[in-house]
Amino acid sequence: MRPQQLIPSIGRRCRPRLPIVLSPQRRNNSYTVSVDEPSDARPADPPAPRARSAPTPVPDEPTVEEPSLGKSDILLGTEEQALATPGLTFADGHGLRGPTGKGRQTRRMNLYQAIRDALGTALATNPKAIVYGEDVAFGGVFRCTMGLTEEFEQGIAGFGIGYASVGGCAIAEIQFGDYLVNEAAKLHYGSGGAYPLNGGSLTVRAPIMSVGHGGLYHSQSPEGFFLGAAGLKVVIPRSPIQAKGMILAAIRDPNPVIVFEPKILSRPDAVRAIQLLSNPPPSLAALLPAKLRPPNPAPSIQLIDLRTINPLPAAAVSEAVKKTGRVVIVHEAGKQGGVGNDLAGEIGRRAFEYLEAPIGLHAGAFDF
Amino acid sequence: MATSRAFLTATRPRRTATLPARITARSLITGPPPSVPPIHGTHETPTSTPLPSPNPLPAFHIPSAPVPHARQEDGKPLYVSGSQAERQARAGRMSSPLRRGTHESWWTPEMGFFNAVAKTIPTFRVLDEEGHLVRGAHIPEISKEEAIRMYHIMTLVPIVDNVLYQSQRQGRISFYMQCAGEEAATVGSAAAMLPNDEMYGQYREQAALLYRGFPLKDMMAQCFGNVEDEGTKGRMMPVHYNAPDLGFHQITSPLATQMPQAAGAAYAIKLDENRQGDCVICYFGDGAASEGDFHAALGMNSVLGGPCIWFCRNNGFAISTPIIDQYAGDGIASRGPGYGLDTIRVDGNDALGVLSAVREARRRAVEGKKGVLVEAMTYRVGHHSTSDDSSKYRPMEEVQEWTVVDNPLYRFRAFLVARGWWSEAEEAALLKKNKSEVLKTFSRAEKLPKPKLGEMFNDVWAVQKGEEMPSVISEQRAELGRLLKKYGDVWAPWRKERKRFVEEGEDVMDCDGRGA
Repeated sequence: MRPQQLIPSIGRRCRPRLPIVLSPQRRNNSYTVSVDEPSDARPADPPAPRARSAPTPVPDEPTVEEPSLGKSDILLGTEEQALATPGLTFADGHGLRGPTGKGRQTRRMNLYQAIRDALGTALATNPKAIVYGEDVAFGGVFRCTMGLTEEFEQGIAGFGIGYASVGGCAIAEIQFGDYLVNEAAKLHYGSGGAYPLNGGSLTVRAPIMSVGHGGLYHSQSPEGFFLGAAGLKVVIPRSPIQAKGMILAAIRDPNPVIVFEPKILSRPDAVRAIQLLSNPPPSLAALLPAKLRPPNPAPSIQLIDLRTINPLPAAAVSEAVKKTGRVVIVHEAGKQGGVGNDLAGEIGRRAFEYLEAPIGLHAGAFDF
Repeated sequence: MATSRAFLTATRPRRTATLPARITARSLITGPPPSVPPIHGTHETPTSTPLPSPNPLPAFHIPSAPVPHARQEDGKPLYVSGSQAERQARAGRMSSPLRRGTHESWWTPEMGFFNAVAKTIPTFRVLDEEGHLVRGAHIPEISKEEAIRMYHIMTLVPIVDNVLYQSQRQGRISFYMQCAGEEAATVGSAAAMLPNDEMYGQYREQAALLYRGFPLKDMMAQCFGNVEDEGTKGRMMPVHYNAPDLGFHQITSPLATQMPQAAGAAYAIKLDENRQGDCVICYFGDGAASEGDFHAALGMNSVLGGPCIWFCRNNGFAISTPIIDQYAGDGIASRGPGYGLDTIRVDGNDALGVLSAVREARRRAVEGKKGVLVEAMTYRVGHHSTSDDSSKYRPMEEVQEWTVVDNPLYRFRAFLVARGWWSEAEEAALLKKNKSEVLKTFSRAEKLPKPKLGEMFNDVWAVQKGEEMPSVISEQRAELGRLLKKYGDVWAPWRKERKRFVEEGEDVMDCDGRGA
């Protein structure tokens, strides 16, 4: 499951569709319905299994090797690169040099290792912190974990709100809940700033987006639903180092924060691919397929890594657009009702006279 | 609807055919004098039928000698002894996969289906409808001061309700919900709790809030959303109270959402070594018990533990849905054993019975660090809210009958009189004092201005030290300031509206007006 190519890829190959073969019964459309069966009779013999034609396997076309990201050496491979991550701050106040003054150590982690590390820090430093959710079954560093079945999914958010209300620090892992919009987001405003009590915070982690094999139910990008929920912070880390920092910041934030974790980032190769896109080094062009290579001389591109989508930093983005005059928004969610359209509207409203081309929106951008 | 109403009236024995004359002759408080012009304009709301509001207080009456009662000899509900931890340990020890997760089971060749865990669930009470002590009942430990405080709140709430209800009808506040008929259940349960306990209300628990010491002034301020509304700063609908220092959590409109929150708070208390001995009480109605949140909350609380009293006010209606259309099982109490919770059903119109039951429930909850379910059987005398007309779905005679045959105030007062703690003169003085105090705070609250206009932009996101208000909000604030600068004096509606706020909107006009 290694990424096969770079993104963005326009000419992406799909697996050819399998031929659909109808079974004879289905084709003849012959059904018999009996209504005279005595009701106390044993159930009729189960219907004979329908003939299922085995699909003829279509051999894959030979893959044209494209540059592999996994082998690339242009990633955050060193401490210096990792510590140069924009926006990186340290809660201990010692900055990049660390408490010893001799620098800080870094460790190579994928997204979930980073999150686990962040949760471990939170639990170790805050005696009122709990981590809970559906089938949360970590061990070791966690003082308190609970395995809840999915039956209680709807209660998880509310449980966390109550826990935070009396001053606890709740870190939930859920799929979804209206609570976040209706109760968590409005609690602080509605109570005139009184709740949650001092020290209380609610952080909700939820994995989103596709990973390639999730089918309908494990590939959605619903972050747009939460854009209208004033009072809720919605953040999406794009790398392990961001994930760790954002989880810790979210836990210390009195606001309810949803941390959406792109599932794809749990795969090390994918992590690198995203990082490559987000911090394009000068040698990026050489790795791209010929038809995707930028013209020469390469245009000047400013890449904005939108980590917080609620509240949407529309003003800051618009200021950047005023400098370049062009903007393309890329996200994995669909076009309608997503962050991209919202942002495009704000940019159009604020920087209309600076735009030299229509605002581009590349939605549904999943290419792994 | 017709069938359910027929069923309701058919199953409930009618004990009096006609109303005593004193009910109709009673002069009800009719709210504030209509000399003050309405602020909100008159609303067209569906409520048109006058209900006995507040729950009418019958004329003073000294009870006769108690009548002996027949003993309830019906089957007793089962009780599996042992703490939650012991039961869990026992279930865990069972090795057979078929028995795992059950309390006690045995192999049997008989195919025995069942639909109840007990033949009947009895309803606990201390006082009967006439206020006489039920034979064999123990009077809970209660001092004269405590009892009179309870009665004080039970008689105060109907006056508050009536004044605010009438003021909604006159368009002076936007919404209201009465407690009528449920005074005993709410006050009795609140009286059983201690000051450090946490309280999660649904929306009809103003009596509990008053009992905990919430000032009338703050209650009126919340309903008017005026400058003294420190709890919600004028942002919430009326009756959405909160009082963090009294442990009363924010009332929110969505139904049953308080329940998982209460489970979370109870769990936090269980883990917090500084809060051992504290408890959570969570109020909800029979309708809320049909929501998924009820089951999520009880499920989590029963598995994770945490001292919590689940107090169901089973008042017969979920807005218009009578309980006969709400559930087919044996009330809400029958669901407690499903979660392994200690459960009791109590006569919700018997303040002493509720006090006694909730006090014991609290003891069990705190000692066992677990949830306890209390189902209080009562009757909603008022409309669901000011947006409801209950005459469309229940006969008014039924309501009248409840207020006469089973009046919670009457029952508790009979107890006070029998103890020699209360007299007619004291009652008259109390009602007079309550009425004048309510009217005084009401008219004062109505005249106060709204909070600063800019207050509506605060607290959307909590802003920590060194942070700025998110631009999404500050831009909107600036835009309002710009518009107010431009039109605030020249456009009549705004000129008039501005005057209702402290500083008349000047506080948001501090910007340069160049917002988005």
